[in-house]
Amino acid sequence: MSHPAPAIAVRDLRKDFGVFQAVRGVSFDVARGEIVGFLGPNGAGKTTTIKMITGLLKITSGTVRVDGLDNRTQLVQVKRKLGYMSQKFSLYPLLTARENIEFFGGISGLSPRERARHQARMEELVPAAVLRQKVQDIPPGLRQKVAMFVCLMPDPGIVLLDEPTSGVDPEARRVFWNDIYGLKKLGKTLLVSTHNLDEAEYCDRILIIHNGELVAAGAPDELLRQRRKASIEELFKDAIEEHGQD
Amino acid sequence: MGRIKAIITKEFFHILRDPRSLTLVFIIPLVMIFILGYSISYDLNRVAAAVVDLSQSRLSRQLVRAFAANPVFAVRSRDGAGNRLSLAAAEDLLRRGEVREVIIVPADLAQRHAAGRPAEIGLVIDGSDVNVANLAYQYSERILLDLNAALMGGGRLLRLGTKVYFNPEARSQFFFIPGLVAVILLMISAMLTSLSIARERETGSIALLFISPLKSGEIIVGKTIPYIIVSLLDGAFILLFARFWFGIPIRGSLLVLLLFALLYIVAGLALGILISTTAPTQRTAMLATMLITMLPSFLLSGFIFPLDSLGWALRALSYVIPATYFLRIIRGVVLKGAELRHFLFEGGMLLALSLLLLAAATRKFARQRKAVQ
Repeated sequence: MSHPAPAIAVRDLRKDFGVFQAVRGVSFDVARGEIVGFLGPNGAGKTTTIKMITGLLKITSGTVRVDGLDNRTQLVQVKRKLGYMSQKFSLYPLLTARENIEFFGGISGLSPRERARHQARMEELVPAAVLRQKVQDIPPGLRQKVAMFVCLMPDPGIVLLDEPTSGVDPEARRVFWNDIYGLKKLGKTLLVSTHNLDEAEYCDRILIIHNGELVAAGAPDELLRQRRKASIEELFKDAIEEHGQD
Repeated sequence: MGRIKAIITKEFFHILRDPRSLTLVFIIPLVMIFILGYSISYDLNRVAAAVVDLSQSRLSRQLVRAFAANPVFAVRSRDGAGNRLSLAAAEDLLRRGEVREVIIVPADLAQRHAAGRPAEIGLVIDGSDVNVANLAYQYSERILLDLNAALMGGGRLLRLGTKVYFNPEARSQFFFIPGLVAVILLMISAMLTSLSIARERETGSIALLFISPLKSGEIIVGKTIPYIIVSLLDGAFILLFARFWFGIPIRGSLLVLLLFALLYIVAGLALGILISTTAPTQRTAMLATMLITMLPSFLLSGFIFPLDSLGWALRALSYVIPATYFLRIIRGVVLKGAELRHFLFEGGMLLALSLLLLAAATRKFARQRKAVQ
């Protein structure tokens, strides 16, 4: 019986910036329809790995396959499969939310009719008055909602979210993760990076990265049981210490 | 003392290990002394002069030879087809900016000389560049004095009858302000695109453009078109200011100016994109744009110093500076009422430069995008 290719397959991925090795031989799979949390402190290599998956950063060595497609030789097709919300930037702050939707719909090649449909759907989720505001004036939680909506407009099957909840208050984070569950129900695959360890509980599986190396991978409950730890924080410390001793 | 020593040491490390500081300390002064040393000069050298010889006598040929022998002037007495220059053709050359003065030898020169009566040699000077006009007049007068001395021992057989065209009041603003419009327009248009792309890079939004299905050419075209409109409005605004505040006359067609301005602006915008591909931040992009657009446009385009006075290397460099061509056009149209047909070469060069720069910018941008990926 043949198994379908994983949504994302990363093998021995490396990224060097001069003598600095930002990512050192990372390998993992993300199965279709699962939510995978990519955990690690700032500078661990999460964003670099995600950028290499999207094709935004040149790979030093190793391979990335998205839906079975090699992102070095089939990047155009890979881009069509991916939705990406970057940590640094997701919306133009001087444009209103509505204008951002129009712009990103436009560059994604959506027809005016599809864009109008998205505008209408957005109005169901966010008050119309907010949509008329410049993004820089919208509260962070709602801004994140709009950014997520924009990222999903081309209807990608695989969504990469780089630190989507950084700078967002706990209530907005909870709402955000509810939305992510909603996406999973729609059959989307999600790889979500975060340095908030408590967000691991929302994920089907977690990957813990430290100093550019993957130090633990598995379902949160399973990892806690295996390592006999009571919390993700303890698990995280244990994985890092163990890795440090190697 | 130890504290001061620490900060001194740290500053030296910063200077020596930061390529930008090293460039500022060593490269920029070298470039500036080189360019300024060769370009700042009020010496006239091979000023183009047209001769309309209506006399065709021995004396008129002697007069023409006297001008031709002087290294200050490059004299032409025939048109492209080899015919003797007519008054109309010479005036056209003056309007086109191809000559700075026209020497008109009257038809009755030989007869007057034979009768011992003084004759007036007409001198029509392009007054748009006040400095060049003054110097050209002085040199012309000197040549005539020498010739008079040779002919009859210092008498005033030949006199100059001078007319100054295009700027009879000899207002230097007439010369500099249209030039300033050209320089400012290039700087602003280049800065608009260089800042726009550097801003996208700085905020990280460029990643979203790169990951989108947009082609590099589409990004460049999309980035350029709005700024063409903004730059054209900007150009119109500063031209109106020049007209109504400084009283600069606009004698030619605004439509002609608009057409050439469009090409010039595209060249500027493409230059901005090219600069932005190497500028990591908006600050760097702004400084680089100012340096790259202003320095050559001020010194090597004919804005302040006549191109005739530049050495061959810098003169060759001036041919790839868009301002060199637009300066001639704007001065020609604004001050001389020149028409489209007068600037076909300049227009062609602007078109070629804007296409070349646009192609280079798109190529560099696409390569950079690919290198990232």
